[in-house]
Amino acid sequence: MAANQKSNNNKVMMTILKGRTFIVLVILLIFFSITADNFLSAGALLTVAKHVALYGILAIGMTYVIITGGIDLSVGSVAGLAGMIAGGLIQEGLTLKMFGVTLYFSVPMIVLITVLLGALMGMINGLVITKFKVAPFIATLGTMYIWRGFANIRSNGATFSELAGYEGLGNTGFEVFGRNIAGTPIPCGVLILAIIAVVAGLILKKTPFGWHVLSIGGNEKASKLSGIKVDRVKIWVYAFSGFCSAVVGIIATSQLVSATPKTGESWEMNAIAASVLGGTSMAGGVGTIGGTIVGAFVIGVINDGMTMCGVTEFWQKIIRGLVIIVAVIIDQVQRNLQAKMALQARNENK
Amino acid sequence: MKGFKKVLSMLLVTAMIGTMAIGCGAKEDDKKEETKTEEKKDAGEEEALKGGGSNIIYVVTPSVSNPAFKAEADTATAKAKELGYEVKAVSHDDDPTKQTELFDSAIADKAAAIICDNAGADATVEAVKKAREAGIPTFLIDREINAEGVAISQIVANNYQGAKAIAEKFVEAMGEKGKYVELLGKESDTNAGVRSSAFHEVIDQYPDMEMVAQQTANWEKTEAYDKMEAMLQANPDIEGVICGNDTMLEGVCAALEAANKTLPVIGVDGSDEAAALIKSGKATGTALQQFAVIAEMAVVQADKYLKEGTTGEDEKQLVDCVAITKDNVDKLSGFVFTE
Repeated sequence: MAANQKSNNNKVMMTILKGRTFIVLVILLIFFSITADNFLSAGALLTVAKHVALYGILAIGMTYVIITGGIDLSVGSVAGLAGMIAGGLIQEGLTLKMFGVTLYFSVPMIVLITVLLGALMGMINGLVITKFKVAPFIATLGTMYIWRGFANIRSNGATFSELAGYEGLGNTGFEVFGRNIAGTPIPCGVLILAIIAVVAGLILKKTPFGWHVLSIGGNEKASKLSGIKVDRVKIWVYAFSGFCSAVVGIIATSQLVSATPKTGESWEMNAIAASVLGGTSMAGGVGTIGGTIVGAFVIGVINDGMTMCGVTEFWQKIIRGLVIIVAVIIDQVQRNLQAKMALQARNENK
Repeated sequence: MKGFKKVLSMLLVTAMIGTMAIGCGAKEDDKKEETKTEEKKDAGEEEALKGGGSNIIYVVTPSVSNPAFKAEADTATAKAKELGYEVKAVSHDDDPTKQTELFDSAIADKAAAIICDNAGADATVEAVKKAREAGIPTFLIDREINAEGVAISQIVANNYQGAKAIAEKFVEAMGEKGKYVELLGKESDTNAGVRSSAFHEVIDQYPDMEMVAQQTANWEKTEAYDKMEAMLQANPDIEGVICGNDTMLEGVCAALEAANKTLPVIGVDGSDEAAALIKSGKATGTALQQFAVIAEMAVVQADKYLKEGTTGEDEKQLVDCVAITKDNVDKLSGFVFTE
């Protein structure tokens, strides 16, 4: 009887712990709507969602990578380089010296080229990690510098401005990704986030590829022995992260209607934080896309809420750090409790 | 496995095409929207912007860990409070995307006006435009943007005049001859170029002054220290150093001290740290950019604009720098020069 009571308590506790990030999000929303006058309005919340879209998309790719037991520090740099590639293609086109011509592409083509190159950059991460057995932290730290360097070299550190395109070249319309969907107050980035999140979430949960990703993170050797092509799955996962980063680069560049090589500096940290807040385990094997999105919203609400509260820069940093650490501590508590419950259930069955 | 790969690539392609489809679908309507905003803009030029409706002034600056921007943010905050506004001082860390987010927050917060030391001459234009469309006037300080008629005021220090003035003092301290080195600011920053060319416009008139090395230290102290040590190794006979800002000047003075040298060193900015070095004779001089004066001017103009519909000034305004040397360094404190 007493044992039953206890296990019931544990179950309630588990439910609360599992939904912790969501509960934190609700508490934050309530807190900021009281402390900041104009926070709880459709406009302000859509603004938050627009900001969340950027590192939310990065965090989706990051979640896949972390689930396989890796990390991708290069996402911010890939976003920066992707922005510069897109900006350069609009402003300067692609000059083929051997033919002496300059090709200008339409915006959909530019987007396609940019995201494919982003995926390729991610693939290079994957290849270095799997084929040369370089630790993901080191490999992506290296490419983080390399892509950032290329982003600066592309324009010699300058900014590509006025990316509205030219009618004559048929490449107008690049700024749509940073604006609202026509006729609605919903930012384009939020829709892109939603699409990528749904697709990525379904792949992770419902397809064999997703199960392979999870199983590699859980136990790489066992996965290999059971016939999963570990290397190939990993390369695809890093390619997906690169793809997501390039999409973010396009949205960010489109928002500013100019491409600066600085875009995306230190964004990898936001992406990792969103992922971890959402319950992704840095040890690999555990994580959901839904959790990551909630985690991204927690960070977004904290950032914008604190700004609208007038919290100073330095305190913002401290609070952000505290939230991340507390989230991981609760994560540990949950895992211990889960282990205890499993043990208890086994004992009861005996 | 091949099957899964196919599924994955299919889905990726679908996602990509989907993304593009949104882009294409939205294009036409977006143009309409644009013409609408243009109309609004036209109307805005005749009528003054009224502000977002609240009594809040947003002060947006780079990280206040730099004392110059701290002086700027603090002065603007104090002046705006004195004039009866609520103030939210925030920092964009030189990230244009973060700056856009802060502008979005200000718009959502119905700010009355925005005072901004911006994160990029091109990348800022769109954010200021958006604020303008929301009826919020923006007053830019310290750095200009590459567009006119978007912000209400652009008040900047006269870097060119300041750098020239302090370069004169440098030539004087060097006795019009000798080898010197230069530390440049971040190359992507226009001010780095303006200051350097102003330095050389003065110094290059003297044929006996010879620049033996030129390095960028990205405005940073540690980097300046490292680069200075390296340059001293390569050219032990250096007789003077010119720096694009005071933070680099600090790094240089520290490196010179470690090498037991005291040489003429100049910077630009007018920080308290540089003032202390000038007082103790370790540095020659600096050009004070009157950050506090500029920030205060912006707030006063914002207040006047909100009340009367005009600042009564041109959009672009230059504020002269003050050459600070041992003779007048006592009058400098916290970026404020009191005559």
